Amino acid sequence: MAELSTPHRRWTPARLDVRLKLALLCTASLASLQMQLYGLLGLLLPFALLAIARRASLGARIRELRWVFWILALVFAARALFTEGAPLVSLGPVAVTRQGLQEAVNACLRLALMFVLGGVFIGLTPTGEIKAAVQWYLRPIPGVPAARVATMLGLIARFIPVIFAEAARTSEAQRARLGDRRRSPVGRLATFGLPLVRRIVLSADRLALAMEARCYSELRTEPELAARGRDFLAFGLGLAMLAVALAV
Amino acid sequence: MAAIIEIRNLVHRFADGTTGLDGVSLDILAGSFVVLAGANGSGKTTLLRHLNGLLTPTSGTVRVAGLPVAQNRLRARMQVGMIFQDAESQIVGETVAADVAFGPENLRLDRCEVDRRVAAALAAVGLEAAGDRRPHLLSGGEKRRLSIAGVLAMQPQVLVFDEPFSNLDYSGVRQVLGRMVDLHRAGRTLVVTTHDLDKVLAHADRLILLDRGRIAADGDPAAVAAAAEAFGVRCPPLAAERLSWLN
Repeated sequence: MAELSTPHRRWTPARLDVRLKLALLCTASLASLQMQLYGLLGLLLPFALLAIARRASLGARIRELRWVFWILALVFAARALFTEGAPLVSLGPVAVTRQGLQEAVNACLRLALMFVLGGVFIGLTPTGEIKAAVQWYLRPIPGVPAARVATMLGLIARFIPVIFAEAARTSEAQRARLGDRRRSPVGRLATFGLPLVRRIVLSADRLALAMEARCYSELRTEPELAARGRDFLAFGLGLAMLAVALAV
Repeated sequence: MAAIIEIRNLVHRFADGTTGLDGVSLDILAGSFVVLAGANGSGKTTLLRHLNGLLTPTSGTVRVAGLPVAQNRLRARMQVGMIFQDAESQIVGETVAADVAFGPENLRLDRCEVDRRVAAALAAVGLEAAGDRRPHLLSGGEKRRLSIAGVLAMQPQVLVFDEPFSNLDYSGVRQVLGRMVDLHRAGRTLVVTTHDLDKVLAHADRLILLDRGRIAADGDPAAVAAAAEAFGVRCPPLAAERLSWLN
């Protein structure tokens, strides 16, 4: 049974201590602001390959993440068109500049790096461990209810699939009565949104009751976290990678 | 056997003034298997929620193992484990094992004891191989068994089931009923609300019919079931009270 809850079974990079993983992710986010093209590419490519290798169907994942590509396209367009510099192509009142293109590529690479690193972090870390790390980092801060925040994080993670399921059920029920033929977007939003919110609130209410029935308290058994030598070694290697990426 | 639950003149009025329970008095003996039946709105769920202090009586008392629930809610919740009608809504954890650990962690048990209890509870409901799975991907029967495991890990003396067979297919009903019978054989006290008497009656040793917040009949399942139709509960076919769904 110990294997179900002990954070470290057999050590692999995926089982790096979650606090160190989180610290590395935050450091990488900040460091990426100072990185240039080759540094960003050098960091992005191996992690993107890792993310792709872990996914069963690349096509399905790309379809799932199409909104990310839209965001990247918007950022690219905004940076490319509205950064001052030597014009390459003029489009009426605005022009694509060399500096704008460079800024746009870097900004998109930074965002893509954050999406990929975040995705790899979430993919390699159970939500329970992320919750435990957040609680560990918040605990020393006076006035912050670390246990409550961690429980809320866990509940949000638990509730996301419920919200999607409720939304799908509400949508199906409305389409079955031709609700999708309503012309007014406001009317459609109201007839879809209000019942959905009501169902979600009721679910939350039932969950609160069930938690109460199981003696929910903020004073709970603390999650076990343990950083070992190999964790620190991996953390050090991660920092070294970031330093190299900053230097190039 | 001594009474583990004693209810005296329990009255519950809701905020809108409607009466949920109207002077209910009963004793539930330790180790018994009690079925509470009644039409919708008869007060079954309201009564269950008083057993572990989720509701506060308007008047009257509920005692569990001799202690008044209103003054000892935590103790009552440790002794009376409640399995809700909607299994999905009581799942808290991101994995099956994390969900079962939720209760023991609330009791601030040390990690080894939490792990031991989680293992034992999962084994008791046949989910020992599912510890790392995501709860929302389980089948209906498995989710119900998970909710039983979550309560078992707190080692309560009494298990209270609110409509345990709702939304379950035949296989799910058999899975859940099998676990309930095992738990009863292991010495737990079971209180089950249902309006599907035929699924559970063969295993019960007492049937209580509720009607508009009052006890309408109480006694031997075979005798009381004959009167069930008058209170909006389908009377099982003849001899069905002796015909287990597990056979």
